[in-house]
Amino acid sequence: MISVTNLSKKIGDVQALNQLSFSAQDGKITGLLGPNGAGKTTCLRTLFGLLTPDEGHTEVDGINVAEQPVAAKQQLGLFPDPFGLYERLTPREYIQYFAELSGMSRKDAKKATQDVIEQLHLNDISERRCKGFSQGQRMKTALAQAIVHQPTNIILDEPTRGLDVMSTRLLRDILLDLKARGHCVLFSSHVMQEVAALCDHVIVMANGQVVATGSPEELCQQTGETSLEEAFIKLIGTDEGIAA
Amino acid sequence: MNKLIAMVRKELIDAARDKRSVMAGLYYAIGTPLLMCGMFMVLIGQLTSPEDLNITIQKAQNAPDLVRYLGNKGINAVDPDSAEKGPDIKDIDIKDITLIISDDYAENMAKAKPAEVILQADNSNEKLQKSIQRLKRELQAYNAEMGSLRLIARGVNPQVMQSIKVNVQDQATPDSRGGMILGIAIFTMIYSVFISGMNLAIDTSAGERERNSLALMLSHPISTRQLVLGKVIAVTTFALLGLILILLISKVAYAFVPWQELGFSINISTDFMALMFAIGIPVALLASTLQLFVSFMAKTFKEAQSYLTMVLFVPLALSMAASYNIAPDALQWLPVSGQQQALMDFIKGKDIPMMQLAVSSAATIIISIALMLGLEKMLKSEKVVFGL
Repeated sequence: MISVTNLSKKIGDVQALNQLSFSAQDGKITGLLGPNGAGKTTCLRTLFGLLTPDEGHTEVDGINVAEQPVAAKQQLGLFPDPFGLYERLTPREYIQYFAELSGMSRKDAKKATQDVIEQLHLNDISERRCKGFSQGQRMKTALAQAIVHQPTNIILDEPTRGLDVMSTRLLRDILLDLKARGHCVLFSSHVMQEVAALCDHVIVMANGQVVATGSPEELCQQTGETSLEEAFIKLIGTDEGIAA
Repeated sequence: MNKLIAMVRKELIDAARDKRSVMAGLYYAIGTPLLMCGMFMVLIGQLTSPEDLNITIQKAQNAPDLVRYLGNKGINAVDPDSAEKGPDIKDIDIKDITLIISDDYAENMAKAKPAEVILQADNSNEKLQKSIQRLKRELQAYNAEMGSLRLIARGVNPQVMQSIKVNVQDQATPDSRGGMILGIAIFTMIYSVFISGMNLAIDTSAGERERNSLALMLSHPISTRQLVLGKVIAVTTFALLGLILILLISKVAYAFVPWQELGFSINISTDFMALMFAIGIPVALLASTLQLFVSFMAKTFKEAQSYLTMVLFVPLALSMAASYNIAPDALQWLPVSGQQQALMDFIKGKDIPMMQLAVSSAATIIISIALMLGLEKMLKSEKVVFGL
């Protein structure tokens, strides 16, 4: 469970977040939908305490991120954009390293790493160094890193960028599986099909503000459009933001 | 604690696989002692054996006694014509100095008048200066000797010519004479902790940010203090490995230098190695924190490299100043130069100035801790983490 309340953040002269509030429930996939430059990544970074908000606060499982950053981050898994792989480590070393950073003992981390490698079919590349990996292999490694310690909340920043159909499907299956197991999944995207196919709950963002919330169907109904894409355009108001 | 171990382990694995980091340390640790040895061998060769000086003497037959005298002092007359005949003479290095003895030399000498000799050489030629000085000195000595003999022949004590007697007492001990050489040798060892860890320090800070893994690390439940400690420990370990390596190689390599010809010896004993390592720990800590601090301040890998090159000049200057004895006393209380002085005293067989060593080591550690606290604060700033 993630909740964001009245978040405001100015980066340079840009008001990146402007009184942003929303929440993402456990056992649901929540999509953060917005054009480029809407403030999605800023919002996610604030959730991890990497950026300090000018106003407002964020909570993870009821823990205030600003007050107890380590405890809050313990409940989070991040699939970042960009991936941040270590080119000289193998996926197994990489995943295990972050499992240990998330507080697992070496033994548990080893076992969890093996489990996630099997779950994501990483066996064939698990002993190769990450240098020279394809986009799909990188995605899988980064995803394994995000879920290896079984956090209650998983945050994905633009997870489907640059992926082929097979990788996208795999990702989708894993997200649905996490949802079925009661995790809170929050991901940002600007790809309508992904959001429409996966999300139980959509938060439409533009210029650092929430424009609309609801299931994809509800958003279509609100705007009287048939497709999410048309509804999205209508909601964020024509050219604004899209031009970016 | 587990997280810290995991971090250090990962940094070391990552660094060991980074050829650039490993090579930078290795090249320095292996190359420098060998280079030093080569340099010292050449230096010792030049200092200790005043080679025969071969010059051209024209009309040598006019002054056989002078020529014999010079010959005894290692200044040989080589006839340019005969040089071409003998095959072994060809290799002899004949200096471009000509001594011409005047035709009336013998006559004037017999009459106790100044007998003329002409010394021809290019005075602007730096390489000849030493040889010219040597020749002049020997001619003066011959001159004084002849003068004395003449006074004795006339029944006068030659000491009347000697109004003052200069008695030079050289108080240099063999070891202190080698001070500069020692200073350089110890300096290369101390500097190894700065060089060995440098690439890793840049890679793990500015490099980590450039690869976007810094934000990912900070997204995990670790405190910035843990992150800083992990990186400092990793870089310090690498720096100390470099130090151990250079000590081992120096021990082997310096044994081949003919120190005894200088009248002192540099013996890289086990005691010295242990002391150097113990003293090196705080210096390595300072090196790693300083390098991490500067690299995190820089926005990119390249920027970090150029800043660090400038920053590394500071310990270089401190250390050099200490070894040349040009420094004010204050230097023995400062980081790096204080430790260098203590090590030099140890290898010279003097007592280690414990007070100074303690103060400079404490100063080193305090600066390191201050830098670590600075790093911790820096990593809480979004500007530093995202390189804004």
